[in-house]
Amino acid sequence: MGSERAPGGDGRGDTAGDADGADAPIAVELDGVSKRYGETAAVDDVSLRVREGEFFTLVGPSGCGKTTTLRLIAGFEESTSGTVRFGGESMAGVPPEDRDVGVVFQSYALFPHMTVGENVAYGLNFADPPEGTTRDERVADLLDLVDLPDATDRDPESLSGGQQQRIAMARALAPGPDVLLLDEPMSALDARLRERLRAQVKRIQSELGITTIYVTHDQEEALAVSDRVAVMNGGTPEQVAPPRTVYRRPATRFVAEFVGDNNVFAGGVVDIPEAGELAVDVDGGDETHRVAVGGDEEAEAEEATATQLPDIGDRIAFCVRPEHLRVASADKPAGGETGAPAGENALRATVASAEFLGETTRVTLDWGDRELLVRAVDPLDGAVTVGFDPSDAHVIDVESR
Amino acid sequence: MTDDAGRTGGGDGPLARARTAIETRSLTALAVLTSAALVVAFYYPTATVLIEAVVVDGAVTVSVFAEVLTDPFYFGELARLLSGESPAAVLGSLLSPDRRLGIVGFTAYQAVLSTLASVALGLPAAYLLARFEFPGRRTLRSLTIVPFVLPSIMVAVGFVATFGDNGTLNAALAALGLPPVDLLFTLEAVVIAHAFYNAPLVARVTTAAWESVDASAVETARSLGAGPVRAFVDVVAPQVYPAVLTGAALTFVFTFGTFPIVLALGGFQLATVEVFVYRLVRDLSYAEAAALAIIELVISLGVLLAYLRYEARNSTSTRGARPLPRRPLVPPAPTLRELLPRAGLGVYSVAAGILFVAPIASMILASVTGGDGALTLDHYRFLIERQQTGAAFQVRPWPAIRNSLAFAAAATLLALPMGVVVAVLTTRRYRGRTLVDAAAMAPLAVSGIIVGLGLLRGLVFGVEIAEWRIAASGAVAIVVAHAVSGYPFVVRTVSPGLSGLDRSLVESARALGASRARVIRDVELPLVWPAVVAGAAFAFAISIGEFTSTVVLATGADAYTMPVAIERFIGRRLGPATAMGVVLLVVTGLSFVVIERLGGDHRGL
Repeated sequence: MGSERAPGGDGRGDTAGDADGADAPIAVELDGVSKRYGETAAVDDVSLRVREGEFFTLVGPSGCGKTTTLRLIAGFEESTSGTVRFGGESMAGVPPEDRDVGVVFQSYALFPHMTVGENVAYGLNFADPPEGTTRDERVADLLDLVDLPDATDRDPESLSGGQQQRIAMARALAPGPDVLLLDEPMSALDARLRERLRAQVKRIQSELGITTIYVTHDQEEALAVSDRVAVMNGGTPEQVAPPRTVYRRPATRFVAEFVGDNNVFAGGVVDIPEAGELAVDVDGGDETHRVAVGGDEEAEAEEATATQLPDIGDRIAFCVRPEHLRVASADKPAGGETGAPAGENALRATVASAEFLGETTRVTLDWGDRELLVRAVDPLDGAVTVGFDPSDAHVIDVESR
Repeated sequence: MTDDAGRTGGGDGPLARARTAIETRSLTALAVLTSAALVVAFYYPTATVLIEAVVVDGAVTVSVFAEVLTDPFYFGELARLLSGESPAAVLGSLLSPDRRLGIVGFTAYQAVLSTLASVALGLPAAYLLARFEFPGRRTLRSLTIVPFVLPSIMVAVGFVATFGDNGTLNAALAALGLPPVDLLFTLEAVVIAHAFYNAPLVARVTTAAWESVDASAVETARSLGAGPVRAFVDVVAPQVYPAVLTGAALTFVFTFGTFPIVLALGGFQLATVEVFVYRLVRDLSYAEAAALAIIELVISLGVLLAYLRYEARNSTSTRGARPLPRRPLVPPAPTLRELLPRAGLGVYSVAAGILFVAPIASMILASVTGGDGALTLDHYRFLIERQQTGAAFQVRPWPAIRNSLAFAAAATLLALPMGVVVAVLTTRRYRGRTLVDAAAMAPLAVSGIIVGLGLLRGLVFGVEIAEWRIAASGAVAIVVAHAVSGYPFVVRTVSPGLSGLDRSLVESARALGASRARVIRDVELPLVWPAVVAGAAFAFAISIGEFTSTVVLATGADAYTMPVAIERFIGRRLGPATAMGVVLLVVTGLSFVVIERLGGDHRGL
């Protein structure tokens, strides 16, 4: 069998790791925060709660307001309206130096006229090192933490990008901030290094248990490191949820298409054969498809994903991940190697192009006048049939008649 | 396209091959030509003069140097130290109130004062330009280049018109019922005039450095606990400070070698080294003049070298990721912290506005004001009369205008290719590049008097090579001198553009089959064309305003230019000189418009 699926959907059982954090006190809270520049709102009425010790990520395309949100939290910008609270206390009018935050920028912003040691020690001018440690010991500890123990006397410019990023991290952590703010700290690095560093950032974060707010445009990075993710678009978060939920149960069409590859279908509900299942007449298709709804309590617990149950006559949009579309050559018997079940949600399409990615192949199919993305193990060509299990379809939008 | 026909482009004929050969070697050829031009126009003439300081009657000697160095007239109390007296005694007299500084000491002293004044006047401007947003900011920023290219003799006339006995300052004081002040031929006037020239330079370099401070660095300091003032002291100031030093070092060097300003505003009683070199040249004491000029050069180069070493140790390449956001000039809130700096800037702007506008305005005003204070066109009438009836030995306005324009055009045509070639050669990386850079930039450091004198005695009086006597006219020598003093500015404007170009542009063109010279012509020059035009404008302006070497080369010849004419007219009443100054101002302004138009047509970007 090609894929391993538990009946009743994949959405279950992925909250174990988050559940114990759910009761933690709120470290940072945004309450109806907006930031407007003239007519345009960079951040539009954002309300978020970040728990203590949580690794929280703001992800979205450029211009979605994620960096502005971070700068509002750091105190570099004043919000036009709304309140930022740290531990329940309003931060209105509190300058950045009094907020106990550590910030790492995309450019690292190491002070070019100071050595690495002086950079890391800079925050200790304004905060005492932990009891029983001297300034120098604190610097040494942090350089150890980021695996650069011998860099103290070096010139920041003599270090590689990845090393500079780690020094910036050590510098931000040295005064022992309450909240660590990371603004695209890895986007200037190459892919391989980025993967290694994000693991290190994650390790340091969980070792120290520090509340961390991370800004990135890279959805893969967001899924990899976060406890929870806020997917932002047009100045507002469209979904705030653990990575698995965001991936499997996207709340909106934007989230569905921004996080990972996806196939979004639209159509009208023609029948409700049984509870939790819909028969949908998909636009551009010539058959009625069956789509499952509901059945993912943990997703509904995250308020942002709650969608109303559709009725007959409603128009809906639903998505199916490429890896959940099973595909077989049209001339092969149904239920062949690729395991496409006969009759169930079958579509006929032709292969347009294929990208070999190693583990799998990412295949683009022409289906009518639109494209579908599928994953395949074996090479594909020509006419194919595509099928998906009703429980792999996720309803993202309902438009009542 | 299965074969490489596209690559060779049908170029198998001998003609095409010759063209390719020329193209591949043209850069080398141009480099050789430029070097030759530099040797003929600068290194050889300068050397012939400087050699006089150490060769007397065919024998090498240091006696001329020794005389200058131990003469209290030049070195004040320090001369006694150099002639072997005990340091304690010298220190004692240096600290006593009636110490003698000597000419060199006084030159250094006024240069230090001028530098301090320029920094004091330039820093608030940099603060305003780098940290505030207001309508016209960009224009104001561009305008800071203007004083630098204003003809110095014209500015001097403007200062006389402002600070002289009958100047606008005293007129204003009289209107207020205050007693008149006599600033002319004082150190104050010279220092203020130097600040007029160099404060904008300090402001320019400082603004550039301030603008390149990464806002993230400041924000990081803030997030780590530093308040706004502390963040400025720890993060911004250390990155701006080297630029202030750059401005100060350059100001010191420029004012140490000052000539026309002191000649017009200080006279011989406030003589600086350069003025005295000029006087010695006029008295035909070439050996002493050369020795003094060498000492001046050594001191200037010493300061520059010390500065460059400092810069090398402290240079940091700023990534310039995100500049600090500018603040609006209108205070967002009526708090003391918002109002105070703006009020300070307001006071500064008024003072600076007066300083920078007054000389030009006073000059224009004086040119239409008669001795009785009434408006008149007499001074312009004088210029016309002089043109119609002037004797052959007298300076007439039209030849001065014609010469100035002709020399400037010729000098620009010469300086432009030289500057571009040197810019190309010095932006590429190779061993010995700094040496090439230094050799090419040397004309900036050497006294204009010496260059002028060298050209006069080398080119104008003629050189004997294998029984041929090669002599150039004074006009040719002036053009050469102007080109030599102007082309470093072409290099300085074109180089940053060239080095800022993406290397892969050049590499793409090379990979497509273009020779190095073709790439310069087809890719690099079109992309930096605005800088080339700016360089041309610079060279033109330098030539129009050049006074120092022109005044040497124009002696006796009728190759005088507008600045020389102004200087000759100063001797009499101020009126005709101010009228000539206005003519120079108008001609220069119109030329700039023309250059801008000509260049704008084929702007590459």
